[in-house]
Amino acid sequence: MSPKVRVALYWLASCGGCEESQVDAISDKIDIISNLEIVFWPVAMDFKKEDVEKLPDESIDVAIINGGVRFKEHVEMVKLLRRKSKIVIAYGSCASWGGIPGLANLYDINEVLSKVYSEVPTLQEKGVMPRPKSVTNEGMEIELTEVLPMLLPLDAVIDVDYYIPGCPPTPETFLKALETLLSGNLPPRKSVIGASTRALCEECPLNKTKPDKVLIKEIRRIYNTKIDPSKCLLVQGIPCLGPVTRGGCNAKCPRVGSPCIGCYGPLDKHIDYGAKAISFIASILDLNDENEIKKALDNGIPDPAGLIYKFTLPASRLKVNLKRGEHK
Amino acid sequence: MRDKDVRIGVYICHCGTNIAGVVDVEEVARYASSIPGVVVARHYTFMCSETGQNMIKDDIKNLKLNGVVVAACSPALHEVTFRNAVKEAGLNPYLFEMVNIREHCSWTHTDRRLATEKAKDLVRMAVAKVKELEPLEEVKAEVVNSVLVVGSGVAGLSAALTLARAGLTVYIIDKRPVLGGFVTRLVNIAPIGIRGREFVKPMIDELVKMPNVKVLTNAEVISVEGGVGNFKVRIRQRPTYISDSCTLCGYCEKACPIEVPNEYEGKLTMRKAIYLPFKEAYPPKYVIDENACTKCGKCIDACPVKAIDLSVKERYIDLNVGAIIIAVGHEPYEPDKGEFGYGLTRRVITSLQLERLLDEEGPTGGRFIIDGKVPKTIVFISCVGSLIGNKTTNACSRRCCSTMTYDTLKILSKNPDSHIYILYRDIRTYGFEEELYWKALENGVVFVKFEEPPKVEVMGDKIMVYVREATINKNIVIPADLVVLFVSMTPSNAGEIVRIFKLSRTADGFIREAHLKLRPAETPTEGIFLAGAAAGPKGVMESVIHGAAAASKALALLLNKKYILREPLVAKVDEELCSGCLICVGMCPFNAISVKYVGERRVATVNPLLCMGCGTCAAACPSGAMEHNGFKDKQILAQVRAFAGVVV
Amino acid sequence: MSSEYEPKVLMFTCNWCSYAAADLAGTSRMKTPHNIRIVRVMCSGRVDPQFIIEAFAQGADGVIVSGCHPGDCHYMEGNYKALRRMLLLRKLLGQLGIEPERLRLEWISASEARKFVEITTDTAEKLRKLGPLKPRLDYVRKIMEEVVK
Repeated sequence: MSPKVRVALYWLASCGGCEESQVDAISDKIDIISNLEIVFWPVAMDFKKEDVEKLPDESIDVAIINGGVRFKEHVEMVKLLRRKSKIVIAYGSCASWGGIPGLANLYDINEVLSKVYSEVPTLQEKGVMPRPKSVTNEGMEIELTEVLPMLLPLDAVIDVDYYIPGCPPTPETFLKALETLLSGNLPPRKSVIGASTRALCEECPLNKTKPDKVLIKEIRRIYNTKIDPSKCLLVQGIPCLGPVTRGGCNAKCPRVGSPCIGCYGPLDKHIDYGAKAISFIASILDLNDENEIKKALDNGIPDPAGLIYKFTLPASRLKVNLKRGEHK
Repeated sequence: MRDKDVRIGVYICHCGTNIAGVVDVEEVARYASSIPGVVVARHYTFMCSETGQNMIKDDIKNLKLNGVVVAACSPALHEVTFRNAVKEAGLNPYLFEMVNIREHCSWTHTDRRLATEKAKDLVRMAVAKVKELEPLEEVKAEVVNSVLVVGSGVAGLSAALTLARAGLTVYIIDKRPVLGGFVTRLVNIAPIGIRGREFVKPMIDELVKMPNVKVLTNAEVISVEGGVGNFKVRIRQRPTYISDSCTLCGYCEKACPIEVPNEYEGKLTMRKAIYLPFKEAYPPKYVIDENACTKCGKCIDACPVKAIDLSVKERYIDLNVGAIIIAVGHEPYEPDKGEFGYGLTRRVITSLQLERLLDEEGPTGGRFIIDGKVPKTIVFISCVGSLIGNKTTNACSRRCCSTMTYDTLKILSKNPDSHIYILYRDIRTYGFEEELYWKALENGVVFVKFEEPPKVEVMGDKIMVYVREATINKNIVIPADLVVLFVSMTPSNAGEIVRIFKLSRTADGFIREAHLKLRPAETPTEGIFLAGAAAGPKGVMESVIHGAAAASKALALLLNKKYILREPLVAKVDEELCSGCLICVGMCPFNAISVKYVGERRVATVNPLLCMGCGTCAAACPSGAMEHNGFKDKQILAQVRAFAGVVV
Repeated sequence: MSSEYEPKVLMFTCNWCSYAAADLAGTSRMKTPHNIRIVRVMCSGRVDPQFIIEAFAQGADGVIVSGCHPGDCHYMEGNYKALRRMLLLRKLLGQLGIEPERLRLEWISASEARKFVEITTDTAEKLRKLGPLKPRLDYVRKIMEEVVK
């Protein structure tokens, strides 16, 4: 009987979606489950940090980590897991590139905390910021981890072996990645696994409805546009990021008339995913007058960073709003 | 290229003291040799000299260089020189990068230290790029030694003659049933009064006798594919119901019951649906106006030689040609009904109609009469359709002033008592045609300058012309017997042509030349040339020159060549990465990108013969699948990243 | 060595118009600021926004993209694509804390040597006033190094 695969699953700044997709993928796959020995999985099992510390180095076969690095505690945990694991996988968009929480990098962290704890309407005591040390009513001292000034993807902190893209990765993607890992034929380190090597348009059923030339006269917002779900969304003026995003999700969003928002992240040749997205979207806006272009962009893309860096800002070349450090 | 496989030679030119006087060339060479991957760095007084070039060649052979950087003057001057030197030494000429440290450095900066630092930075950036360059092979395009000339006006005829005399196979087509183009409607071409039909006759006679010339009338291009050296053109020839047996007897014309306005007579008279455009017409046979013909068949019965067959269908002809010359000419501006009184009375005519009235072979036999009377007071209004009128292009139509002044002389020679007023915005009788202006003045023609357009009112027998004379700033009324509107040249079917040949138009609607000054008679599309009024208002002389120019350029391209070599700095699709998103297809103004299938997968593909190498598609490609040879992402990024150590 | 900040400018010039204008400026011995480093492309339409973001990430204080005047592009429409991309990129750069003035898009024809001189001189001057970008990048780098420790 072959030894079971020792797996650790951990979550950082996470919404829980990756956990759901993992369970979704393997919950009925007895052959896979029966071959796994889970040594650490805080969301579901009562392991503690000490249990991991006790393990010999590299005794975990695969550590699957999702979520972005937001707290000091995350840094400690992922470094620990790296030491103890043979292979570390960045699971999902947050671990791979920062994910949606990465958009916080557009603001100073104090602005973010202030918004959350002081400005947002609440029944709680207002203006109480997270305190690193406090005493409970029962007199116990508790510590709260420190918030990092910027959100980081996993590979900014530790060496990552493979990436599984998606927000969350679809069950198919996860299973395909597992298949790849268990095949014995490991792809080159730092590859994205489980997904396609080409852009989403290839697997999108609306791709074949495109006219000879994809050119638009205006960029539209989905909230005030009637979308024809049987035709390519880009051609209808909706900024769909399919052409610039890695495929592998089976085009699940455009398939139901919703534009791709880029959760499967960049392709191998991209230097900066957002800049590439800017390039193709602007290129197909078929206007030549500067004022007309400005107007079309202001109407159609009032928030470029939110559109193109929704999942990838911390992994972009500039990573943050550079003006944040101005006051220092 | 990994560092240990890289063997780059760097050569810094002094250019005498042009560079060395400001830049410390020794320092730059020393710096270059410290860059990983650079195995030799030299500096020399004149790198472009034989000695300098030999230096490079020897190093390539002896040191097994696989990349060369020359820091000297602008690549605009010597990139080709050094590429050839590299090629002669046995290294692929595209593993070479030239750095401009003269025009962009020593000649524009004064501080020696800063200029030297800049030279070092630029060398470092070039070395970084060369490390990423790949060998490229020029693209061989097979050449067909024939040319298609579209349009048989003076420009097209001039082009066709030049080509045919050089021995090329020439196809000349015209959408009309006869050759000769627009000048056949003119009888009084300034400044020497040429009769258009007589002018083109010797050209046509010579052309049609040549065995390497094929003439197709009633023919239009409906599609074009391929690229320079090998265009595949599909032509539709409308039915020519009348065969070459036609003896020009004219019985068919007598029998024909249909009458329509005769455009060869400025629509002043009528013609039949079956007619002979003019007596010098080539092909020398009657033609049928399909729009007017009712196919009643009376002409067939009347024809003694059975030359007419109304059942003939249109046919399609496919041609393979190496180059195309577009000479589709222009159409005169047609004023609207009511525009300056046009169409409201027979006494307001266009300049074209004036031509017919002055022609001995015209509808009035050359007697200059209108409505049976000799017009005494004649008003010419210039710039109609160009600067004034219902539709304007705001561009001067070039020939009208000369034509106007010349026509006054013709009129005065017939009716010396005429009072002629020329209402003008500007008088542009350029070159030696200035003489016409003075002659007209001497002969009593009154020149009235306007800034606002004149107004024309029909009042019974007279045409009242109201104009504000701009020099004396007074309103003038002229009761005219005849008003002649001098109309502009407009781009005739430029829209269709531009669509079919994938060209573009100028601001005033004519077909665009590649560059007004540096590349006349060319379009931006390699292998497609442009001649005559199709490119903008022109006179006969200018059109003839333009046609010959276009033909010369086509000859330079094709004559005695089996193939042409195109620079390989073109776009290419990495089909493994292409997702078939089609973003690139819409980016190319040269239609060089199309779609193909790799198994089930749709991918983009670039025709290297059509690609002009701008790289716009590569920048737009969302996957990075589209690459621009010689300017690939990794090559440009290498330069950008090497920018990091810049010292200012 | 002067300790005063001098801006570093990367300039993408199109081969047919802007590069030739730069040549002409040199041939005419007109003086330009030494802060500019030119990267030659065949057409301004080749300039991928990725190059520009990379330039800023590599310490460029400003980037100039220059091409032919609208309507005059050697390749017909490349400069229009460059225009569209630069306008959207500028909006994005603003959100990333890079002042939009640091990215310039200029049309310089082959005969406009004087314009080349004016633009490069004006850019250097404006960037001197705006200040260097590097300290902001350094700050981010510092945070990341601190975090990982």
